[in-house]
Amino acid sequence: MNFDAPHIDYAGISPLIALTVGLVVVLMTSVFKPLRRTAPALTMLTLAATAGLLIWRWGDEQSLIAGALRMDELAITISLIAIATAAFAVLFSIREPAVAEAGSGEYHALLLGSVLGMVMLTAADNLVTFFVALETLSIPLYILCAANLRREGSLESGLKYLIVGSLGSATLLYGMAFLYGGTGATDFEGIARGITQGGVLGDPLILVGIGMCAVGLAFKTSIAPFHQWTPDVYQGAPTPITSFMAVATKAAAFAVFLRFFDVALGDQGSEWQPALAVLAAISIVVGNLGAIGQDSLKRLLGYSGVAQAGYMLGGVVVASKSGVSALVFYLAAYLFMNLAAFAVVIARERETPWGDDIRALRGLGAERPWLAWPLTISMFALAGFPATAGFIGKLYLIEALVEGDYTWLAVFIAVGTMISLVYYLRVVAAMWMRPDSEAAAPGGEPAIAGAAPEADPIDPDAGRRLYLLAPAVLCAAATVFFGVIPQPLVDFASHAGAAIFG
Amino acid sequence: MINVLLWLPLAFGLVGLFLPRRATGWWATVGTIATLGIAIGMVAGFDTGNSGLQYTTDTTWISGLGVDYSLGIDGLNLFLVLLTAVVWIGGTAFAAFRQQERPQLFFFLMLVAETATLGSFLSQDLLLFVLFFDLMLVPFYFLFGIWGKDRRPEGGPSAPAATMKMIVYTLIGSLLMLVAAIATAIISAKGHPITFSIQALQEQGLPLGSQRWIFWFFAAAFLVKMPAFLVHGWMPDAYRAAPLPVLAVFSGVLAKVGAYGFLRVVLPLFPEATVEFQEIVLVIAVASILYGSVMAFTQTNVRLIAGYSSIAQLGFITAGIFALRADGSDGAILQMVNHGLVVAPIFVVVALLVERTGSEDIREMGGLAFRAPILAALFLIITLATLAMPGSANFIGEFYILNGLFQAKIVFAIVAISGVAMSAYYALRLYQRTMHNRKPDGLESREIGFRDAVVLAPLVLCILGLALYPQLILHRTSPTVEQTVARVTGGAAPNATLAAEGKGHEEMVSER
Amino acid sequence: MSSTAWAWLVLLFPLLGSIVCALSYRVIPARAAGAIGTAAVGLAFLCGIAALVNLLGDPAETRHHASSLWDYASAAGLDIKLGIYVDPLSIFMVLIVTGVSTLIHLYSFGYMGSDAGYHRFFSYLNFFVFSMLLLVLAGNFVLLIVGWAFVGFASYALISFWYRRTTATKAGMKAFVINVVGDIGLVLAAFLIFQQLGSFEYTQVFEKAPEVFQTNEWTIVAICLLLLVGAFAKSAQLPLHTWLPDAMEGPTPVSSLIHAATMVTAGVYLIARTHVLFELAPTAADIAAFTGLATLLVAGTIALVMTDLKRAIAYSTMSQIGYMVVGVSIGAYSAGMFHLMTHAFFKALLFMAAGSIISAMANKQNIDEMSGFGKAMKFTSIAMLCGSLALAAFPGTSGFFSKDEILAYATDRGGMYLIFTVLGYVGALLTAIYTFRLVFRVLPGKPCKEAQELIDTGHLAHETPRNPASGEEEDTDVGFPGPEHHIADQTPSMKIAMGVLSVLALFAGFVQVPGLDHMVTSFLEPVWEGSPLAAIEPSTAASWVGLAIGAAISLAGIGIAYWAYVLRPEVPGKLIERFGWLHTFLYNKWYFDELIDVLVVRPALAIGRFANRTFERFVVDGLVNGTRETVGEAGSVVRAVQNGFVRSYALLLLIGFAGLALYFLITSS
Repeated sequence: MNFDAPHIDYAGISPLIALTVGLVVVLMTSVFKPLRRTAPALTMLTLAATAGLLIWRWGDEQSLIAGALRMDELAITISLIAIATAAFAVLFSIREPAVAEAGSGEYHALLLGSVLGMVMLTAADNLVTFFVALETLSIPLYILCAANLRREGSLESGLKYLIVGSLGSATLLYGMAFLYGGTGATDFEGIARGITQGGVLGDPLILVGIGMCAVGLAFKTSIAPFHQWTPDVYQGAPTPITSFMAVATKAAAFAVFLRFFDVALGDQGSEWQPALAVLAAISIVVGNLGAIGQDSLKRLLGYSGVAQAGYMLGGVVVASKSGVSALVFYLAAYLFMNLAAFAVVIARERETPWGDDIRALRGLGAERPWLAWPLTISMFALAGFPATAGFIGKLYLIEALVEGDYTWLAVFIAVGTMISLVYYLRVVAAMWMRPDSEAAAPGGEPAIAGAAPEADPIDPDAGRRLYLLAPAVLCAAATVFFGVIPQPLVDFASHAGAAIFG
Repeated sequence: MINVLLWLPLAFGLVGLFLPRRATGWWATVGTIATLGIAIGMVAGFDTGNSGLQYTTDTTWISGLGVDYSLGIDGLNLFLVLLTAVVWIGGTAFAAFRQQERPQLFFFLMLVAETATLGSFLSQDLLLFVLFFDLMLVPFYFLFGIWGKDRRPEGGPSAPAATMKMIVYTLIGSLLMLVAAIATAIISAKGHPITFSIQALQEQGLPLGSQRWIFWFFAAAFLVKMPAFLVHGWMPDAYRAAPLPVLAVFSGVLAKVGAYGFLRVVLPLFPEATVEFQEIVLVIAVASILYGSVMAFTQTNVRLIAGYSSIAQLGFITAGIFALRADGSDGAILQMVNHGLVVAPIFVVVALLVERTGSEDIREMGGLAFRAPILAALFLIITLATLAMPGSANFIGEFYILNGLFQAKIVFAIVAISGVAMSAYYALRLYQRTMHNRKPDGLESREIGFRDAVVLAPLVLCILGLALYPQLILHRTSPTVEQTVARVTGGAAPNATLAAEGKGHEEMVSER
Repeated sequence: MSSTAWAWLVLLFPLLGSIVCALSYRVIPARAAGAIGTAAVGLAFLCGIAALVNLLGDPAETRHHASSLWDYASAAGLDIKLGIYVDPLSIFMVLIVTGVSTLIHLYSFGYMGSDAGYHRFFSYLNFFVFSMLLLVLAGNFVLLIVGWAFVGFASYALISFWYRRTTATKAGMKAFVINVVGDIGLVLAAFLIFQQLGSFEYTQVFEKAPEVFQTNEWTIVAICLLLLVGAFAKSAQLPLHTWLPDAMEGPTPVSSLIHAATMVTAGVYLIARTHVLFELAPTAADIAAFTGLATLLVAGTIALVMTDLKRAIAYSTMSQIGYMVVGVSIGAYSAGMFHLMTHAFFKALLFMAAGSIISAMANKQNIDEMSGFGKAMKFTSIAMLCGSLALAAFPGTSGFFSKDEILAYATDRGGMYLIFTVLGYVGALLTAIYTFRLVFRVLPGKPCKEAQELIDTGHLAHETPRNPASGEEEDTDVGFPGPEHHIADQTPSMKIAMGVLSVLALFAGFVQVPGLDHMVTSFLEPVWEGSPLAAIEPSTAASWVGLAIGAAISLAGIGIAYWAYVLRPEVPGKLIERFGWLHTFLYNKWYFDELIDVLVVRPALAIGRFANRTFERFVVDGLVNGTRETVGEAGSVVRAVQNGFVRSYALLLLIGFAGLALYFLITSS
């Protein structure tokens, strides 16, 4: 038997190449002292280049490397979201103590590595690439979470993420094995074919496999009840990294979630759809309930992330064009809403001794409107108020759900949103309104390690620094803009939908 | 033109953000007056007797989702728009005359609120309606929360807490409404491309099965907004927290949006369900009338007396709509305007009383009339209008409502009318306890200042004007109303009895 | 100019007067406002006469005209115009109202001379007259209701005119709320009429009614009973009468205007106006008649024991209106209206006299403290005597003819209606007694100290003003009839008013003397056209027999009063000792107030308290807080699970997976 190497379309994988090259270069900078300070710039450059290449690839979709990857609109759109997030994360990382700890070069290199994993993951069309990408994505993050060595909160979170994460990966891998065993194929189309033709439709083997893969993905997208690492890790990790994970990881994981379930397991819909719907419902409830009464903003955003993931999962559940589009749209909106919030949190974290505690926001509205407004807008957006991208996103999702006969899940989203108001508006109130006894009373000791401002030096005017202010204002503006004129984003998202359901 | 009407307040508000502290209030007032100018222009140019939409504008907003930006005016919303414009002037001007902290923000939010409210009246696209309906809450959330009164000293909630209660409570309805709206569009599309245009949805129609639950999702939103009996839990705290000029517009206009929603959305889109649930809603409405009245004459806080009386008034309005007769709904619309015109000035007067007595408790007021005859006279007129004194437009409103109810469901009418007697008692009680009787020691009474008179007098003039010629409104609303009601009752003549409804029912079905 | 045009003017002047007086309260001096107010009503009276002349110009059968200014509220099949209806009946009322009111304004011009709220007072008075005219001229039921309610409001405003008196404001509230109950009756009646006849216009309603309804069909009976609720509330008939005595809190001119001459007769007018409907519902008519009779007697008995001068007269008013109600209900329409007219004259006069005396008493109203005013105030005394004679139906006076005409009609109609004759005469006896009880207690005898002071110094007594009802000291800003008082003998305007009325009280009866002339009847004839009852005409002989009996009874009554209060002043005291229970029962006005308090007021307040203290807190707030707490609890549960230990996270992960797998396996098999 002879083995002939698959034809490789370098243009197709050019974004990946760019990232890899960039990664190496950035890593090298840490070797040569004089170049250290250039790491962030180079990272940005790399990201820009990748983004450029991705956009260049826009339109002609094709599967690469013998069906290992598939660079279609879905992949591109979501990769762009991930890259944008990374770019913001780089800005946030300026003057971040963690960077100094880990060394600028290493830090940014790891970031790029994770992005590389994400881009691969969005394009993954084959169990193997799928898993490899997932790990490429995760491992750098494990390290980055622990990057701030002097805070045991950081180490703790890194460790937790590592352990629980590997458990998740293990489950996923195991599930993949089942599927391969059941269908004898590793590429998604093959699996789909194998299931239908192999007559293993509804076969326990397959189903258990599906279940395990679902768990693995649910873990990455922090869907309840596989979400528990989220609050702790979010809180412990350096905030720029948290913001990066909050958006990019979710995006990438959802991309493969879509591809895997809608392509590979499309015909099995009737089996897994209800199951995922239930998961979505659970995480909507759990996420929103958990966020109530959190004093640590990062924890709060973590839980809200769980709830939001629940909403988004709806887009996967319905397994339809509008479902995919809605999900992508929501991810894009989520990028703006979340990063605006994180930018402000970081600023306050560095300005005040309160860390990410909600008390850090007292009277922000009166003194610092330029910080207050972005956070306010992002909170209203996350709560799905009209005239924000959040509203349109929910609208889009609900429409998809009702079309897909999952009205009850739509109702769940509505109910969840109601509960979510309680904590989102509490943040707003803290900024604009006279301190409210409920907020002040318990706040003696910071909730859990991490809110404590251990060693971090205080930078009184961090909130006035452009690299934080600009992203905040920019994202807030975008949130409102796409809330009023959503058409561009809708078109952007609908391409992704078309990519899977022609 | 209609776009200008809608966005003008917002534009003024945005500019106002960048004006000096002292100017911004005036600027905002000018903005509201300009808006009124346009509104009046539209009433003048309104083609009477035409039941269809006028001044329409309709462009695709989100093509993928079938959402249009479509506005229009017809008999249902013409005067509610005018009311909004009028009342907002009062509230804004009254606030402009007083020191506000952070005035730029305050007036910005006031004007945002006006745009949002106008939007929810003007929208002819179901989703746009829902959007504005929710959007209305945001400015009021800040207005109540930031400038609100902290009630913790007297064992009440803090302003933010009270506001939070209101927001969550009222959004429960509106979020379910969002789902319901989308469901309406998709189900009635039956595969065709989705549209949210109310007109189109009317044509398509819904199967009764889905009408049932969708009806209640909408009803929940509207009833909470009013608020109606049993779901008014947010009202007392919110009303005690709210700054009075804001409360004037809030209570004057926003409550009406709920009632208006029934006419604009529920009756046309879910006719069978409406007929089916008529009694249940009527029970709620009548309960609101009785409960609101009873509460109103046992309260001693002036804000709450007004608040509970509005519950009763909104009860009348709902009852009128759900008489499912043209006269009932005509009366309902007329009464919406009337109530807006009386309740707003009442809160202005309340503000003046509080300034004079330093208290909100009628037990600590009294005898103000002697030193303040003009204020007393104005307040007296408002009071009489509130209790629907025959000769006031409010009477005509209630007369139409109750007549409709009487001809449709006589029992409800007879129970409801007892609310009229009670209203006479609580309204006069409020007037007497503040203006008449002995003056508590150390309380100094003052005549109404010229500036406040400038705010109050026009509103009172509106009341008097309407009292002389309610036909002004009835004449323009009735064509649309009759058409709307006919959709439900299947074109039954205005004074046909309830037998018609059953008949209308089959006709509707057979139309499909 | 047509009669309707004049009628519109009749409406216009008082309204203008009211507005001018109100707006000019700082611009023009008080007296000027008084003059304007009086002039306005005077002009209205003249226009009324003009309208009358016009009307008499037309042939009898066409003496009714409708006219409307604009569509008031016409939509959805309801057609409500701002329209009036002019016919002999309405003009008759217009003349009485404007005529008497002019005099009362004149009286007030002096009487209220030094009151702080002079402008306000005349503004209210004018508004009242306007409302009353609107009521009688209204061309459809809606406008009738409007006038009806305006009158109610005007009376409220005037009763609580001295608004620093808690008693006054309470009384005003009472009057208003009871009147609103009446309004509601009318409104419901209107709805029912609309349902059956599809219109609110008098003309159409009265045309269609006979075709649509059979006699005594339940709907028409219901309509009439609802109308009666309105009528009784306004005309202070049982059981809705309790506001009237309290209404005496208002200034005395008000009492004479509202509570004697005009407003309280609105109910009588209503029944007469809708006689077409009542003739279709004899049951309702009889109920009305008997209520009138009951009121007549009850009020009479109460008047016997009242010690408050004005309240005593107020009860006599109730009982006189009882006569009118009986009259118009049994079909003696013209007679009823005739009595309405004469009563307006002499009762207004009586109140004026009482007012004059009360002024002299420095605002004290208790007759036990009064005596000897005969010497002190000659003019007032004479006026009071004229009024009393007329009220007591002394032969030849106006009351004599009008009252007996009603009873004669009852006799002539016969059957059950004889009851009215008999008890009517009993009432007449009571009337004579209580009327002259007042006269003999107040006028003759040794002057009381106020009277004495007046005789000696010619000046009025002065004391720190006190509220006659509660005895609390008056607020000195506002809330009592001014620092000065005015009595007829010293105030020309009052003198004129009372003089004119005295003449009318004595001689107005001669317009309608059985066998001689019948101006009222013949003038009102066209209104009752086609009514069988109105056709019944007691023979002159029968009438004279009735008159004879009436005269005898009246003289007897006066005699008894003379014996009891002049010859043997100790007798009443003895009687009170002897029948203490009866006296207390009457003195407490048959406990009607208490009854209503127990049946209506207390329950309402109790419900209110329950709603406030219990329902609102536990159910309504419970709804909110309950939800909030559950959510909060659930939240803390979630946080509890989040205990920070990796092992437990892993466990949950596995549980989750197990659940998922289980689900799949179940569905697959």
